[in-house]
Amino acid sequence: MKNKEWKSYSILISPTVIFVIFLQFYPLAYSFYISFQEWALTSSQIPQGFNYLKNYNDILNDSVFHRAVKNSLIITITSVFFQIVLGVILAYLTIGSTWTIRFIRTILILPMVIAPVAAGTLWRMLFNSRSGLINHLLIKVGIVGPEWLSDQTWAVISVIILDIWQATPFVLLVVVAGISSIPKDFQESASIDGASRFQTFLRIDLPILVPLLLIVFLFRFMDSLLNMDSVYSLTFGGPGYGTYTLTFYIYTLGLRNFNFGDASAASWIFMFFSIIFISLIFYLQKKYEN
Amino acid sequence: MKISTKINILSILRWLILSAALIVVVIPLIYLVINSLKLPKEFLSVPPIIFPTEITFEHFDKAFSGKKTLRALVNSLLVSSITTIITVFFATLSAYGLARIGFNARILGLIIILFLLIRYYPRVTTVIPYFVIMKNLGLLDTIWAIIIGHLGITIPFVTWLMLVIINDLPKEIEESAMIEGASVRQRFIYIIVPITSPGIAASAILTAFLSWNEFLIASSVARRKASVLSMSVASYVTDKGILWGQMAAMSIIMILPMILFALFVQKYLIRGITLGAVKQ
Repeated sequence: MKNKEWKSYSILISPTVIFVIFLQFYPLAYSFYISFQEWALTSSQIPQGFNYLKNYNDILNDSVFHRAVKNSLIITITSVFFQIVLGVILAYLTIGSTWTIRFIRTILILPMVIAPVAAGTLWRMLFNSRSGLINHLLIKVGIVGPEWLSDQTWAVISVIILDIWQATPFVLLVVVAGISSIPKDFQESASIDGASRFQTFLRIDLPILVPLLLIVFLFRFMDSLLNMDSVYSLTFGGPGYGTYTLTFYIYTLGLRNFNFGDASAASWIFMFFSIIFISLIFYLQKKYEN
Repeated sequence: MKISTKINILSILRWLILSAALIVVVIPLIYLVINSLKLPKEFLSVPPIIFPTEITFEHFDKAFSGKKTLRALVNSLLVSSITTIITVFFATLSAYGLARIGFNARILGLIIILFLLIRYYPRVTTVIPYFVIMKNLGLLDTIWAIIIGHLGITIPFVTWLMLVIINDLPKEIEESAMIEGASVRQRFIYIIVPITSPGIAASAILTAFLSWNEFLIASSVARRKASVLSMSVASYVTDKGILWGQMAAMSIIMILPMILFALFVQKYLIRGITLGAVKQ
């Protein structure tokens, strides 16, 4: 009986195992393999042979790669910081189940369902320095708006603003769900003890929210770091290499210049640091829970 | 007295912040709609014309005049619905198998972390292998290349989500059925599926969104024939002399179905999004 069931369960699991092997493990192994190969699709249909660490050396010495790393980190750290702060504030302001509050929450989460490429084109219109809405409104209040997308610094800020606009709703939703899971009598007994609202937040809510916020931080940090869709349609990496992000850099290197060897090496450098970061967050979360 | 003024100020502050947030969310969307209905020459005027003097549907007409947009729309519908059906079917079955096969908590924990890693490692790493695989299979520039690429993400993701859900169910609910001799198949169909149907709905909705909105993989393995909406929207970037009106119209064609869909299935969408983070 037990044995027979084990067999049925294995059959149920097998499709996913096959999918994961063929669509994850195999491509990853293949990518790792070509990261040590001399291969540009423009000059050959097949890899041109082992070239030791040349690709890695090329990438680590490429100033555009340095720029992309710097851009990605600045964009990710800044936007995730604001997303979490704004998301937590908005979550506390939209607790409740009255008709108005639910309606407001519905509107506030709309940016999240919009495709990042479309959000990119939308904000490209808003940021347009000549005909865009933002500079138009700024002029109304007497400010001459910057050249958002053609200035190196402002273009990075534009990407950050777009990322905050798109992803704050995610933090909002998860924090609302987290707060709702805090037992009500916890908060009530605290308020009977005469704790102020802020003290209740610090003593009751925050300890419960910290592990949740760590996971939210991980999810948001990685998604923001990996983002390229909205950069593609907002700035296309420009001006110059001003808003090249890591994914955008690897994408253009691999699928526009067809330099497969270098692009694979770059993605494995990226991969290495991502895995360290993800493990660190998991470790912190487990540690905090115990 | 003092307390009530304090509450009043707090409540005013609350509504001020919420109104500001609503404006920041809604105004860009209204602006997009306005731009899609604006005459082309009004984009070029100085100072800019925000509210058009007359409304035109020419950008939508133009978008649908060639076959390109219609084909992208049909391709997007096919890609996201086929991806969703295949994903939900296999991932739910596999999650059930994984939850019941009798792995100890440690191994199950490792499997859950592995699936999470698959969701969050730099996806661009697999883009070149996908390109080469699809090329060798002769699938380049077909919707199947995009579907297979999407399945690589969605199957592990939904298996993880459903595993978290099924793992949470008390084992007792299946016990009486087991005593009466119900097979694995019967228990899955008559017990697990009905109980987890909100989770299955949430998974299906998330998968459909992910597949509809995805750009990186689609643009790597498809070019013209199998072009999907995300690629049509992105294509305006490299055009010389931007067609603002058409760009806005194309974005609306892509966004609107998803906004309507999101409003319609909001409850399940939110459940799906939050579940992964709240329950580990």
